Amino acid sequence: MSSGKVTQVIGTVVDVEFSAEEMPGIFNSIETKIGDRRLVLEVEQHVGNNRVRCLAMGPTEGLTRGVEVVDTGGPISVPVGDPTLGRLFNTLGETLDGLDEIKDSERWPIHRPTPSFEDQATEVQVLETGVKVMDLITPFTKGGKIGTFGGAGVGKTVIIQELIRNIGTEHQGVSVFAGVGERSREGNDLWREMQESGVIDNTVLVFGQMNEPPGIRARVALSGLTMAEYFKEERGQDVLLFVDNIYRYILAGMEVSALLGRMPSAVGYQPTLSTEMGDLQERITSSKSGSITSLQAIYVPADDYTDPGIVTTFGHLDAVVALERSIAELGLYPAVDPLTSFSRILEPGIVGQDHYDVARNVQQVLQRYRDLQDIIAILGMEELSDEDRQIVVRARKIQRFLSQPFFVAEAFTGQEGRYVPIKETVRGFKEILDGKHDNLPEQALYMVGTIDEAVENAEKMKSEQK
Amino acid sequence: MPSAQQIKRRIKSVDNTAKITKAMSMIAASKMNRAQEMALKSRPYSERMMNLLADLAAQPQFEDDAHLLLTVRDINRIGLIVITPDRGLTGGLNTAVNRFAAQHMLQSGHEAEVVAVGKKARDFFSRTGNLKAVFTDMGDRPSPADVTPISKIVVDEYLEGNVDAVYIIYSKFVNTTQQVPELITLLPVEPATLEQKDKVGYIYEPSSGDVLNELLPRYIEMQIYHSILESVASEQSARMVAMRNATDNALEMKSDLTLEMNKARQESITSELLDIVGGVAAVEA
Repeated sequence: MSSGKVTQVIGTVVDVEFSAEEMPGIFNSIETKIGDRRLVLEVEQHVGNNRVRCLAMGPTEGLTRGVEVVDTGGPISVPVGDPTLGRLFNTLGETLDGLDEIKDSERWPIHRPTPSFEDQATEVQVLETGVKVMDLITPFTKGGKIGTFGGAGVGKTVIIQELIRNIGTEHQGVSVFAGVGERSREGNDLWREMQESGVIDNTVLVFGQMNEPPGIRARVALSGLTMAEYFKEERGQDVLLFVDNIYRYILAGMEVSALLGRMPSAVGYQPTLSTEMGDLQERITSSKSGSITSLQAIYVPADDYTDPGIVTTFGHLDAVVALERSIAELGLYPAVDPLTSFSRILEPGIVGQDHYDVARNVQQVLQRYRDLQDIIAILGMEELSDEDRQIVVRARKIQRFLSQPFFVAEAFTGQEGRYVPIKETVRGFKEILDGKHDNLPEQALYMVGTIDEAVENAEKMKSEQK
Repeated sequence: MPSAQQIKRRIKSVDNTAKITKAMSMIAASKMNRAQEMALKSRPYSERMMNLLADLAAQPQFEDDAHLLLTVRDINRIGLIVITPDRGLTGGLNTAVNRFAAQHMLQSGHEAEVVAVGKKARDFFSRTGNLKAVFTDMGDRPSPADVTPISKIVVDEYLEGNVDAVYIIYSKFVNTTQQVPELITLLPVEPATLEQKDKVGYIYEPSSGDVLNELLPRYIEMQIYHSILESVASEQSARMVAMRNATDNALEMKSDLTLEMNKARQESITSELLDIVGGVAAVEA
């Protein structure tokens, strides 16, 4: 094993000089010690004069020039397979749950090639989520990629956690959760909840949260993905991969990009933005051996959907669940915007003609309501024609019926969550569109599960009034 | 987030709307004065006529053998004269009158025939399919001659026994900000009972019967005419208020949008500046 010496430290970017015959390869992991602490560096560039530029996978406090660094001869690798189930890891594959280290399991490098064209699976199968608005407007595919977009505090993490609960618990296979640059507390909560519910036995958790340096955050998604890939490729299992939050991956790359000597591109993003995103997303695919269904939360900076970081992510997804602040402000949770959210598989051939028609009609009614909103604001409801007024009334009902209490948000709403099968969802919206529930008060449709519950609610409200 | 350009386009459209609603409000205001005056001036005339009719009806010779238009019959079918404006943009006025009429129709439980005066009443009742006649384009200053055909139709229907009672539904002008839908019974004519002090002791020439025959049709016309005047006054007042509110709303919306546009513009300027400064710094470094 070759060794070199640190020649320059700028924040988390470290230059190391090796002898000309023993230069480490790109993405090789090289190690050093600061006191007793192991510090891993990942080679990113060869900058000439026998120097390599590396990204530190840990804090660089205490690191000095001249310190000896050893090349491990390969990329960062993480343990994979059965021993990882039920465990909690960091980016480097070290356990964080205070139990024994995993020593003799197989290890896979975190940088791997993407599946080839011919290996990719094409079969389409709908995955039920139990959340009305998603099942209706953005039906999920098994083995697909689903993104939840939203600004700060509109409920991305809550949606991801609800889906972990609804799909993860029902799901028989393995789930992998990668926490990328999000709150450490949330990670802790999730870990404990999974232990309580017992889901943890089939789950692998990988965390590189907000408190970690950018190098860690830029690689943690890859570590999680690698563990998921093992189950897919070696075991042929259907794996669920949850990533919260992909945008932090972009952000981590942006933080180190300039330090690595790249010129900033649009809005200060790294010029390699789409390459980095492609490297990650293209690996999250279903192949003939097994499938990876991924659910990703994506933060939208300043609620601006035209941000280059967001646009780059959009293209990779099969279904987009867009969360809108204006809907959250109305108190309607989940704050999914049914007009901008979409799914590749919302077509009659896959979800059925009935489902397709109902979903499109719901969107049409809501779009018409939005168009009318200016007229209502200026002239008032009275000036609308009877047809338009009916549309407005139904649109408001639909808006309310799109809300739903979540299991994981029970502490906030004080209501037990509801799991609504797709068939019930479609029936409910169809009945509203057909005008069967024109006489129900709006409030009865707010935060309910099925349409039958709304009818019950209305009757309860009626009897209370008397 | 929409760009400054998009918001600017919306501001322009809202601004244009505000201009139109403001003009409409001003036109309605000027028409309103005249319409109010006409409505208020016709009130004393119809009141006096009412008194006279009451006096006539109380004459001894009518006690046993009442005039046909005064006879109360069992009601099988009713007739409604529904008076609305021809045009919209009057806030809740049209809907209120039409709903009130529809409600009355349902509650009465009888079959109904409708004489619609005004396009809005026509549009509303054309759907229920029991329109008997339609009168539109009365204008802002209807003349008493305009109501003769209306009164002829309802009196004929009544005399032929097609309907057994006729009501007028119109919007009563209370004041500029308040108009309420009102129902008055037109046929059979119900003369008021006079207080002792109001009795004058008229002497009728040639006879009280002749005078009554002359007076009744005029009275009916007068009632309809008066209702139409009230309706016109209500329309203009309601439109003025509605358009003034619309103008206020539009201007408020405009100022909100302007704020949003300025924010969007500043944001794009800032991000462009940052890009340039960042680019320069990267090149120099």
